[in-house]
Amino acid sequence: MNCTRRNFLIGGSTTLFLSGYFPKISFASMQKKNLIIISLRGGMDGLTAVPVIGDKRLKKLRKKLILEDVLNLNSDFGLHPKLEIFHKLWQKNQAAFVHATNIPYTGRSHFDGQNLMETGAHIPYKEKTGWLGRGLLASNIIGKGLAISLPMPLLLRGVPQNNNFFPSPDFVETKLIDQIYNEFKGEHNELIKSTLDTIRQRPLSMQIATDSDDRKKLALEAAKQLKDQSGPRVAVFDLDGFDTHAAQGGVDGAHADELEEVNKIVTILHENLGQAFDNTLILTLTEFGRTIKQNGGYGTEHGYGSAILMAGGLLKKSQVYTDWPGLKKKELFEGRDLNSTIDSRAVYNSAMSICFNQDPEFLRKEVFWGDELPDLSQELFKI
Amino acid sequence: MSLNFYRRVAFGLSPNEKPDKDPLNWAINQLDTIPDLLWPGTIPTEKDLRKKYGEWVYGDREVLRKKFKNDKHAYRKAKDELRIQTGERYFELNEHAIRHFQTKYSKQPVFERFWLFWGNHFAISEKDFLAEFSTGPYQREIIRPNMVKTFEEMVQSVTTSWCMIHHLDNSESFGPNSKKGMEWGETINENHARELLELHTVSPNAGYTQEDVIQLAYIMTGWAHKWDRKNLETGDIWFDQEMHQKGDKVVLGVKYKNDAKRELAKVIHDLATHPMCIKFVSTKLCRHFITDEPTDEMINPVIEAWNKSNGSLIEIHKAVITQAYKYNEITHKFHPPEIWLMQLSRMFDLNIPLSFEKMNYTFKLKPNNRQRQLSWILREIGHSPYRAKQPNGWSDLEVDWVSPELLLRRFWFASVELPMLVKSGNRSHGFILSCLKNNFEDHENMASLIDNFRFGTSDYDLGQKYGVICNLPGVLKI
Repeated sequence: MNCTRRNFLIGGSTTLFLSGYFPKISFASMQKKNLIIISLRGGMDGLTAVPVIGDKRLKKLRKKLILEDVLNLNSDFGLHPKLEIFHKLWQKNQAAFVHATNIPYTGRSHFDGQNLMETGAHIPYKEKTGWLGRGLLASNIIGKGLAISLPMPLLLRGVPQNNNFFPSPDFVETKLIDQIYNEFKGEHNELIKSTLDTIRQRPLSMQIATDSDDRKKLALEAAKQLKDQSGPRVAVFDLDGFDTHAAQGGVDGAHADELEEVNKIVTILHENLGQAFDNTLILTLTEFGRTIKQNGGYGTEHGYGSAILMAGGLLKKSQVYTDWPGLKKKELFEGRDLNSTIDSRAVYNSAMSICFNQDPEFLRKEVFWGDELPDLSQELFKI
Repeated sequence: MSLNFYRRVAFGLSPNEKPDKDPLNWAINQLDTIPDLLWPGTIPTEKDLRKKYGEWVYGDREVLRKKFKNDKHAYRKAKDELRIQTGERYFELNEHAIRHFQTKYSKQPVFERFWLFWGNHFAISEKDFLAEFSTGPYQREIIRPNMVKTFEEMVQSVTTSWCMIHHLDNSESFGPNSKKGMEWGETINENHARELLELHTVSPNAGYTQEDVIQLAYIMTGWAHKWDRKNLETGDIWFDQEMHQKGDKVVLGVKYKNDAKRELAKVIHDLATHPMCIKFVSTKLCRHFITDEPTDEMINPVIEAWNKSNGSLIEIHKAVITQAYKYNEITHKFHPPEIWLMQLSRMFDLNIPLSFEKMNYTFKLKPNNRQRQLSWILREIGHSPYRAKQPNGWSDLEVDWVSPELLLRRFWFASVELPMLVKSGNRSHGFILSCLKNNFEDHENMASLIDNFRFGTSDYDLGQKYGVICNLPGVLKI
């Protein structure tokens, strides 16, 4: 039970009666809800993942990047054929997409953009913690974050005792840590010391050796952990390679390969979470979308608006949720990029509110400095 | 001065080195000349390796894929053979050996630390087959010779190097009004222009706009590999006037008259001498050698040295070392895995890299496990130097290198792998104690932590000892 009295009171004081949070909180004591974020570094092209099929301009501007065999979603949007699992889940109301969305960053730098997608801030490198870490801290959910990567992603920083999972090739004797633990003194050793704490408190299930190059195995292990009622509530996957300036391709090609990786992870999570999938939300995160027009290398340049791919039993229904800005030149951002009409942080804030049983207003203030982020829980998620 | 200065600016002291009476001078005197590469084995040229790269891509793309288009199994087998013949599996291993040997035995280890720094500032990230064939020679032949020249000269060389141009797609960038751009309906690729601004020179703090990126990309159009049927994308870099955008360009408010290939040198001059560039790169240097969040007080003398010497890297390096010396006792710096490994290797005289005789390769079989060992260790501790994920290279911040798994891997290396790298004459407890004494003020406390194992010389005992020592706060961090 992670909903402390303090959070209950603060969370409840503003909109408790307006939006009916009472029943949800009592429900939460029985069911653990999982929030899984898949970071897509390099700039995921929302128009490749979820192409608009109702607009001929896209085909005209991307002659060499044409998608055939697009899976059908509705009369306006299709789905990249490599995102099969999303199509399958769509039939069951367990996949949805937010389109023409991005963090409020228009600078087109990967590194500034990735910093902001993780911190949720407006100025690059200013914040040292991630929005997910702050959300967990504000919800008093400590030690329940799991990163499936070798470093600790910025996204999860800000709450203590997060774990990460990327096993080494041999079993490591952690008793060595006990011998030197007390040598870590002083403020400058705090980070290492608290990380050693986390290692010492690891569940046995994480003390294994395996081939960490194999994404399938990692996703499988993550699913096992998330399924455990006392296990992590948040998991972060990290994928890169979406920066396809050249040879982006259509059905095959560089962007398709990366989407296939997303598909693989979601497939494994879906298969192995079992019933827990019903209490799970999976959302993607990227720094920006890509230009509408193809470039000199049959790739695309850094753009603005992208899409969020979503899966899980906590989705309200299958839908492409968007305030579509259009693809006419004057409708594009700076005449070249799909515009962003939804601040993606509103989606993440709402998702956290669902999974952490928290008032979105409260989270908005605690995590996003009170920025104007509408609550989209009613539209997107089961509440 | 604490002994940790030798690790702050270098790799610690090997068993046969003694601390210098004047550590600051010791360090500063290492920066005026380029030390020879010491590796006694093969050091192939960039051009040779590019030829190998060409043989590999041509052989795969133009020969095997066509020949075996209906037989996946036979294709895979033939491709594996081609990997062996062209050295696709081998050259990166050899490059790691060259690099590690240099940091282990160089008489100018401080220079070598700057070499690692610049290679990472002008990083080549994992893309195509660059790590396999090109990133190593790029660091040796493009980065290294420029370290006694000016920053501007370094940027000029890097920007027109085959490796960086391929890495950032400049060969695919066409001026839309150029001859080829018009004929083929092609346009620019902004990738290289954007990173030249953002990562290599002025940084986003300079406040450039999207239009600046486009205009710089126009200036850079035409700098491309020379394509032909046999070499494909591995031909030499040249300036192709037929790809070059005609007309004047404006970058950061400065006008560059239509002047073909001469435009690039002019704009690089302005970028490399821009105050925001000087500040950005000086900060990065201080971050690398002093502390994660260097103050203006630390950085300003470096900026002054830069301005006074018109960007002479020798003078800039000396200023950085002077500052590192000045703040040595009051700042802390965490070392990323590769530097940690290099330091352990030098301080404890570990048996890496493999001898050059054993690194010899016949291009007939897969490289053996011993030949792969160093590269495998680097990968497992999370820091394979030529495989940064993105063009901004490896992080220099502690927070990016401290996670449960990353720390566990250091314990793994020190307690499981390292014992097998201890030379047969160095297995005594006395040897460890003498190395500790040579490098650490608090060697007595360190020794007390491993005293339980003082009679042990088995791999297990050594693992217990090194597992503790190598992960102490004063070893992970200065």
